[in-house]
Amino acid sequence: MKKCSGRIQTAILSAAMCMALAGSMTAGAAESSVKDEDSVKTQASGTEAAAPSEEVTLNFWHHYSAQSPENETLMNDLIPKFEKEHPGITVNAVSHEWADLHDKILISAQSDTLPDVARLDSAWVPEFQKMGILVPLNQEMSDFGDVSGGLLESAMTTAQIGGDSYALALNTNTKILYYNVQGLKDAGVDVPKTMDEFAEACRKLSGTNKNGQQVWGYDEPGLSGWNLCPFIWSMGGAITNEDQTKATGYLNGEKTVAAIQMFADLAKEGAITGWNSGDIPMTDGFGTGRYMMLLEGPWKVSELAGAYPDLEYAVAPVPAGDGGSVSVLGGEDIGMFKSAHKDAAWKFMKFMTSEYAQEAMAKCGQIPCNKEALESDTVKKADFAPYIEQLKTAKSRPTVASWSEIDSKLSEAVTGVVNGDTTAQDAMDQLAAEVDELLAEE
Amino acid sequence: MMKLKGWNKVRVLALLLPGLLIFGIFTFYPIVRLFWMSFFKWDFGSFFDQKFIGFDNYRTVLGDENFRVAFANTIVYTLVTVPAQMMLGLFVAMLINSITHAKIFFRVAYYLPVITSWVIASLVFKYVFNTEGMLNYFLTNVVHVTSQNVHWLDSRWGGMTVAMLLGIWKGIGWNMVVFLAALQQVPQSLYESASMDGAGAWQRFVHVTLPGIRGTILFALVMLTIGGFNVYTSTKLITDGKPGHATEVVLTWMYYKAFSSGKFGYSAALSFIIALVLAVLAVVQFGLMQRKEDD
Amino acid sequence: MRKKRTALWMYVLLIAGMVIVVLPMVYMISTSLKPNGALYEYPPKFFPKLKEITLENYRYILSQGRFLRNFLNSVLVSVSTVALSAVVSSALAFCIARFRFPGRRFLFAFIILTMIIPGTTMIVPQYELAVKLHTINSIGGLIPFYTAWVIPYSTFMIKGFVENIPRELDEAAYIDGGNVFTVYFHVVLPLAKPGIASISIFNFLTAWEEFPWANTVINDDMKRTLPIAISGFFGQHQFTQWGYVFALSVFSLIPILIVFISCQKFFVKGLTAGSVKG
Repeated sequence: MKKCSGRIQTAILSAAMCMALAGSMTAGAAESSVKDEDSVKTQASGTEAAAPSEEVTLNFWHHYSAQSPENETLMNDLIPKFEKEHPGITVNAVSHEWADLHDKILISAQSDTLPDVARLDSAWVPEFQKMGILVPLNQEMSDFGDVSGGLLESAMTTAQIGGDSYALALNTNTKILYYNVQGLKDAGVDVPKTMDEFAEACRKLSGTNKNGQQVWGYDEPGLSGWNLCPFIWSMGGAITNEDQTKATGYLNGEKTVAAIQMFADLAKEGAITGWNSGDIPMTDGFGTGRYMMLLEGPWKVSELAGAYPDLEYAVAPVPAGDGGSVSVLGGEDIGMFKSAHKDAAWKFMKFMTSEYAQEAMAKCGQIPCNKEALESDTVKKADFAPYIEQLKTAKSRPTVASWSEIDSKLSEAVTGVVNGDTTAQDAMDQLAAEVDELLAEE
Repeated sequence: MMKLKGWNKVRVLALLLPGLLIFGIFTFYPIVRLFWMSFFKWDFGSFFDQKFIGFDNYRTVLGDENFRVAFANTIVYTLVTVPAQMMLGLFVAMLINSITHAKIFFRVAYYLPVITSWVIASLVFKYVFNTEGMLNYFLTNVVHVTSQNVHWLDSRWGGMTVAMLLGIWKGIGWNMVVFLAALQQVPQSLYESASMDGAGAWQRFVHVTLPGIRGTILFALVMLTIGGFNVYTSTKLITDGKPGHATEVVLTWMYYKAFSSGKFGYSAALSFIIALVLAVLAVVQFGLMQRKEDD
Repeated sequence: MRKKRTALWMYVLLIAGMVIVVLPMVYMISTSLKPNGALYEYPPKFFPKLKEITLENYRYILSQGRFLRNFLNSVLVSVSTVALSAVVSSALAFCIARFRFPGRRFLFAFIILTMIIPGTTMIVPQYELAVKLHTINSIGGLIPFYTAWVIPYSTFMIKGFVENIPRELDEAAYIDGGNVFTVYFHVVLPLAKPGIASISIFNFLTAWEEFPWANTVINDDMKRTLPIAISGFFGQHQFTQWGYVFALSVFSLIPILIVFISCQKFFVKGLTAGSVKG
C-alpha cells in the first residue's frame, strides 16, 4: 500500500505538472498593445540577402487600421498598381497598431530586422533620427529636390532635422470638433465656441438617455499629448518653452494646470470619459449617441459613414480659449531605414507621395501633402476645408527625440489627476521637473 | 541503475544529445545570459554595447514604485486565486466523486475553461466586464443590486478583481482533475470505519479526506503559486496595466520595461528577482512535500 | 430517502456551477452570431433573436485568406512542437531513469529548476538569442523555443512513467542481445506511450495558445499564429469588432476541443496506467 501510494503520488504529480505546464507557460506575456492587421499579399518576404536578380521585396510597415478604408485602398489599389509599374518589386505591407508600430521599430532597430519603409507619426521622426536609423534623403537621393518641391513645405518641415530631411510628408491632419446634431438640439445647447462654453456644454449634454443609459458630453480616448494638447494650447498653456529646452514654468504653468483641472473636473462630474479600459470605443460611442462630442480628424468621416451611416453629425472648430483655437498638428511621414533596399524603397516613397496615390488616400480622409493632389477635384469634393482652416493655427507636439517618453509620462501624470490621486498642480510640478531632465539630455 | 559499457555509452550519448542541445541553447544559455545582463546598463540604442554597473539595476528595480505596485498586485493575485481555486476545485471534485451518473460529462464541462486559451478567455472577460457590458446590465437592470454601472476595468482593484476572477474561473478545472484523481485513491474502507464510529460528513472530510489527499494539496499549492507569479496575458489584455500602471503584475511590468521602454538590464534584474523568489518558495514547498511523502 | 435527496442536491449544485463555468463560452458563441452593429444595442441580449442570427462574422473570417494561413501556421507550430518534444524528452527521460552518467544529477536538478522559473522571465535573453540565430519573424523559429519550454515538464512526467516500467523487461531485452536503442524503441517507448500521449495533449495546447513570444518575434500578418491574429482585432480605441474577434476565437477553439475530447479517455487511462503499475 505504502509503495503503491508513492507511485500514485508520482503519477498524479507528473500529470498535474504537465497540466500546470499548460497553464503556466501559456499564462505568459502579452505585448502591451495589440496590432491591427489586414490582408496582405505576402510574397516571399524578408529578402535580407540582396538577391543577385532584380527581384526585391519591400517591407512596408504602417498604422492604417486593419479594417479601414485606407488599408483597403493600400492593399487593393495602390500596391497592385505600384507592383505593376515596377516589375521585380513586391511590397509586403504590414499593419501595426499605432503605439505598437513605435515599439516594434525600436525593437527591430536593435535586432537589425527593420522594414525598408515605414509610415511614421511625424512626432517620432526626431527620436528615430537620433537613433541613427533613418536615411537622410536629401543627401542620398539625387532627385530629392524635385520630389520634395512637389510637397507642402509646412508638412515637409516635420522631417527636417539639422538641415537634413529624413522623410517625405505623406499626409497631414488635425483634429476638429465633431458633434451630434440632434443631441445638441435636444439639450438646447449651441455649438461651443469657447472653452467655457465647451465645459458647460459637456455638463449639459451628459446625463442619461431614454433607456436609462449614461450619456457623456465629450469623449477623449486617451490622455496623451495628442489628446490633451488642443485643450492645453487653446487655453493658453504650453508643454515647453519655444526652444523646447525647458518644461518648468510651462508644463506646470497656471494655464496648463487649468486645462488639466478642467479635464479632471469634467471627468469627476461624469461629463466626459473615454480613456478608461472599460469605456465604449470612440466610434461606437459616438455612433450610438452615447458620446455627444469628439475631437477627431478627417478619417472619421469615412469610418462613421461605414459603421453608422444614419448618424447625423456636424463639425466645428476647436473651442477657443485664451490661446485661441489651437488644435494639434497630426500627420505622417514616410521614411526609409538605413538597412533598406534604397532604390526600390525610394521608388515606393515617391509613388506613395505621387498625385495618384495621394488622391486615392484623400478619398479615405487622408489630407494630401502633394500640391497637385491638393488641387484635385477629389480633394475639393472631400470637403477638407474645416481641417485646412484649423491647420492654420495647429501646432505640432514638441519635436524632441525624447517625446515618446515625455508623452507616456504626461499620460501617467494626468491619469493620476483625473483619478483624484493627486492635484493637477502637484502632478504637473513633478512632471515638469522630470521633463526638464529629459530635455537636458537632448 | 545500469553501468554503461562500450557502444552503449555512445548510444546513450546519442539519445541525450538532442535534448542537451536544445536545453543548452534555448534554456541554459538564456538563463546565464539573463544573470549576466542584469549587471549591465543595457538600453535601447546599446543593445550590443553595454556597460557594467554592478547591482545598480537591482537597486533601481527595488526602489521603483511601479515595481512595488506590480509586486503587491502579484502577491494579492496569488493569495486570492490559489486558495479559491483549490477550495472550489476540491469541492467540485468531491461532488463528482460522489455522484454516479454523468461523471465524465461534468468533468469535461468543468475542464473547458482550462483548455480555453488565455487570450480568448481574457477577451471574453473584458467584454463581459466592460462598463457597458452584459454583467453591468444584469446587475443594474435585472437584479437591481446597483443603480450605477460598476467601473470594473477602470481602477486598480476593479481590474485586479476581474483578472483574479478569470484566474479562478480558469483554474477550477485543473484542481478538479488533480483532486479527483487523489480522492479516488483514498480507501473507501476508511470512510466506512469512520462512519461506523459515528463521524458525520464534516468529520469524515476533516479526518479522512484531508489527510488522505495531503500530498496533492501541497503539490497543488506549489504549482499554483508558480502559476500565480506567471499571470500575464490576462492583465495585459484586460487592463493593459491601466489606469497608469496600477494593474501591472511583475511580468507585465518586466515586459513593458524591456520592450516599450527599452530597459533590458532593468528587466533582466527584475526577472532574476522573480526567479529567485519563486525558487526559494518552491524549494521550501517542495521540501515540505518531500517530508510528507517520507512520513 | 435522505440519501436520494442528498444526491439530487449534488446534481443541482454541479449543474449550477457548470452553468456559471460555461456561461462565458456560451456568451462568446452567441456574440459571434450577432451582427457587429448589434453589439452595443439596448437592451443587450444574451442570445440574439432567431432572425437576427447571422453567419456574417464567420463568412468574413473565412473569406480572408490570411486567417486560414494563421490557422495553418498554428497547426504547423503546434504539431512540430509536440513531435519534437515527444522524441527529445522521452529520450532524456529514459536516460535519466535508467543510466548513470556524469552530470545526471545536475541535469535533473536543472529540469526541476526550469519548471519553477516562469518562461516569460527569459524573454529578453531569448529575444537576443533569436536575433543572433536570425529567427525573428520566422514561423519555424518558434518551434525550438516552444520545445525548449515544454521539455522540462515532459521529461519529468515521462520519467515517472519509465520508472514504472519493470526493469526486468529491459534486462530480458539485453539478454536477448538488445542494446540501448532496442530497449528504448521496443520496450520503453511502447510502454510509456500513454504517458507521452497525455503530455503531448498539453504540449499541443501550450504551443497552440502561446501569445507573448509569438507576439514579440513575429511581424508579418501572414506569419502570425492564431492568438496573435485574434488579439489583432482588439485593443484599438476606435473600433473593436467583437463579432470578428469571437468568430475567430471559436475557430481556434475547435482543434483544441477535438484534441481534448478525443483524447480525454486516453488521458485518464494514461494517468491510471501509470499509477496502478508497480
